[in-house]
Amino acid sequence: MYLKKINIWYLSSFLISLIVAIPILTVFSSFFDSTGNYSIILKNTFLYEYIFNSLVLLLGVLILTFLIGVTCAYLVSFYNFPGVSFFKWALILSFAVPAYIYAYSLTAFFENYGTAFSILKNIFGDANYNLYIPKFDGMMGAILSISFSLFGYVYVLTRASFHYQSQSLIELGKNLGFSKKKSFLNIILPSARPAIIAGLSLVAMETLSDFGSVSFFGISTLTTAIYNAWISFDDLALANRLSFYLLIFILGLFMLENFSRKKAQYHTPTKSGFKKKKPINLTGQKSFFAFTFCALVFFVSFLFPVLQMLYWTISFPKHLADLNLIKLFSNTMLLVFLSSILLISLSFISNYGNRVTKSKLLNLLTTFSVSGYAIPGIILAVAFITFISWFDNNVISFFGLKTIKSIFIGSVLGLILVYFIRFYSLASNGLKSGYLKINYSIDESAYLLGYSKFKTFTNIHIPYLKNSMLLIGILITIEIIKELPITLIMRPFNFETFATTAYIFASQDLLEAAAAPSLFLIVIASFFILITSKYILKD
Amino acid sequence: MSKNFLEIDNVTFAASAKNKVNNVSLQIENKGDIICLLGPSGIGKTTILRTIAGLEKIDSGKIILNSKVMSSKDIHIEPENRNISLAFQDNSLFPHYNVIQNIKFGAERNRNKKIFLNIDEVIKFLHLEHVLDKFPHQISSGEAQRTTLARSLLSNPDLLLLDEPLSNVDQSFKEEIQVKLKQVLTEHKITTIIVTHDSYEAFYLGSKCGIILDGQLKQYDDPYNVYHFPNSVEVINFLNRGTLIPAKVTGENTLESVDLGTIKGNFIKHYPKGSDVKLLIQPEDLEHDDSSNLKLEVVDRQFRGTNFIYTLKTPSNLMIPVFVHSHHIHQHEVDEKFGIKRPINIDHIVCF
Repeated sequence: MYLKKINIWYLSSFLISLIVAIPILTVFSSFFDSTGNYSIILKNTFLYEYIFNSLVLLLGVLILTFLIGVTCAYLVSFYNFPGVSFFKWALILSFAVPAYIYAYSLTAFFENYGTAFSILKNIFGDANYNLYIPKFDGMMGAILSISFSLFGYVYVLTRASFHYQSQSLIELGKNLGFSKKKSFLNIILPSARPAIIAGLSLVAMETLSDFGSVSFFGISTLTTAIYNAWISFDDLALANRLSFYLLIFILGLFMLENFSRKKAQYHTPTKSGFKKKKPINLTGQKSFFAFTFCALVFFVSFLFPVLQMLYWTISFPKHLADLNLIKLFSNTMLLVFLSSILLISLSFISNYGNRVTKSKLLNLLTTFSVSGYAIPGIILAVAFITFISWFDNNVISFFGLKTIKSIFIGSVLGLILVYFIRFYSLASNGLKSGYLKINYSIDESAYLLGYSKFKTFTNIHIPYLKNSMLLIGILITIEIIKELPITLIMRPFNFETFATTAYIFASQDLLEAAAAPSLFLIVIASFFILITSKYILKD
Repeated sequence: MSKNFLEIDNVTFAASAKNKVNNVSLQIENKGDIICLLGPSGIGKTTILRTIAGLEKIDSGKIILNSKVMSSKDIHIEPENRNISLAFQDNSLFPHYNVIQNIKFGAERNRNKKIFLNIDEVIKFLHLEHVLDKFPHQISSGEAQRTTLARSLLSNPDLLLLDEPLSNVDQSFKEEIQVKLKQVLTEHKITTIIVTHDSYEAFYLGSKCGIILDGQLKQYDDPYNVYHFPNSVEVINFLNRGTLIPAKVTGENTLESVDLGTIKGNFIKHYPKGSDVKLLIQPEDLEHDDSSNLKLEVVDRQFRGTNFIYTLKTPSNLMIPVFVHSHHIHQHEVDEKFGIKRPINIDHIVCF
């Protein structure tokens, strides 16, 4: 009976989900492998420090993103003040600035004889201003960089939740005689709680995955430990074992995020019961405070890194001239183009396969495989290399075939495949939410009008989901432009993108040279964010 | 092979493990016949349509259309290859196409065949002219339902299945569309199965009606017989157009009721003299007569436009419905006494 369900759609979907699940399975299976001596040293010395640092970083970032994200979302959703329409979308531009570029800007501005020093010197003349300029390095620098780069998740999700809060809910509070403060604490905030938790879970996952900024600030976290175990000590098994620990933690957050998102749906009123909110007009000091807060967040999260990078790009034109911009742009776009095509087409097949087969096993595997987005890029890259090495040593050599390592490791193909695993959930979930809007009776109507499954797919689904495809394509583009650890590990020799170029210069302490590629990266990402802002803010 | 146009032979229709309609056998003898399936919500009527359309499989029995086995334990012809059209109750329009494009999807199916229905004519009788350029999310649920109906009609199916086709349609259009729909289906000999919970709609549209209750097809007969000769107490309760009162058979054509006295009429089924039975009293069985000495208390009065239905309480606290023309010279208020004409003559006596 079960075999009857297996058809071409089932097989394709199964295979796609399996490929995505491979790194997760590799990490889990490697837990039982023996590791080198480094693991003993690590356990006796640094492991607890790595865990402690990771937790401090996580806590700091969560507190800061919560305060910034929720406050901004609250102000733009419930009040009218000068610039509110601008801030609604401008605040999401922070997505265009990766944490590692923020870290470069922060250091560049506050370091000894940095930009802050130059500004003070130009205004007030010569003096040793270094004594008075605060230093944001180490843990504080990492917390600030990651928070300003990630608070957007909390902002977007909380704002969506506030946006869908019906005027009737607010009126109910008034009717019960609640003060504004009591309404906020007892009605507004609790109903947005699932969205806030979902946002914070995403922030937590990204923070634990962060590699660029923590390595720049020299903080030892679990992510940098994985990188060091592999690169410095050549102990792939230990890297995998550390990944396992990190993964357990991240999967817990992933489940929390998923659960909260589902719960958030129940907090969204139905269309018929929805009454649009009437924002309150702020005047005087309150209006000034709201404007200043949003303007400050916008400035610090977006304008500050952009201006810093722009300043250096202009100040050091030689570095800009040395950059092969066309090559960097074409490399980045090549990766974007190939990955988008692969991700969208395979996600389409997998989603449609799930839809037509209605198989529980397939659904389970897909759900498992989409957890890939929760896994740090660095773990995915290491797990992918582990798997290819194992496959090459055990399967390929068994058949006496030529090694496949060079095809998949240090090649564009390997890089694209790991991108595929990393961003599969983005594409798959994006299409899934599009598919959820298509009632199943629409497929059935098509069959009853004589359309085959393939024709229903091409004539009904693809035209209907074309906007979703475009949006997913752009979101993938933004992610790939910013992506660092996978590109760094998997890229072919001498194949650079804006992200890797910036990182390489920064890691050599050549921050001025990192400015131009960082600036281009931000500008391109901002362009794509702006054209999708309508959709990002919608949900 | 079967001589019937459609033959459903001992099929169990399963919406879920618990919700089943068991061992259904029914036939549509001729091409162009219209049958209606009636039953309460959630009983599995839609599942029957979905199974006939090929959207669900069966484990036993056979569904044969036009001498060809469509479904059996071993055979399952895919829905796209059956030429059976199902108009879903809920909106199943393609959301990214406007109304006219959706309708044309139906017409395209059999474009090589001779189109027997004129698209403009269908649009007109379903009152869709003003929404042709609109998208499904811009139209009302009634308009969406009419669009689905148009699309199904124009697909020129061998068998048309309509699931509550007019449930969302405004009352002002409903009767007009019912009349026109029946005319179109009959004129073009479109064999149709309609699922509805509206017995008036079923009695009007169907040449036969099936009553589905308690997981079974309880009765399958022409509408007159279903109404006047229900074959079980469950059917009477479902149709809710009568009440059962205790009586004793006193002769070939007579019964005696404690509350109503002697009742005469033709028994549908023979009962021996002295049998205790439950007699079906329908609203039109009793006649009002102010001068009668048989008086019952009025407990409710429903105005139905063309008539009133009085609910009367007997001395043994039974509730009996009585039909009175709405032009009757005077009305009786609740708690007043209401005369019943004697002797009571009922054309056909149905007992259980």
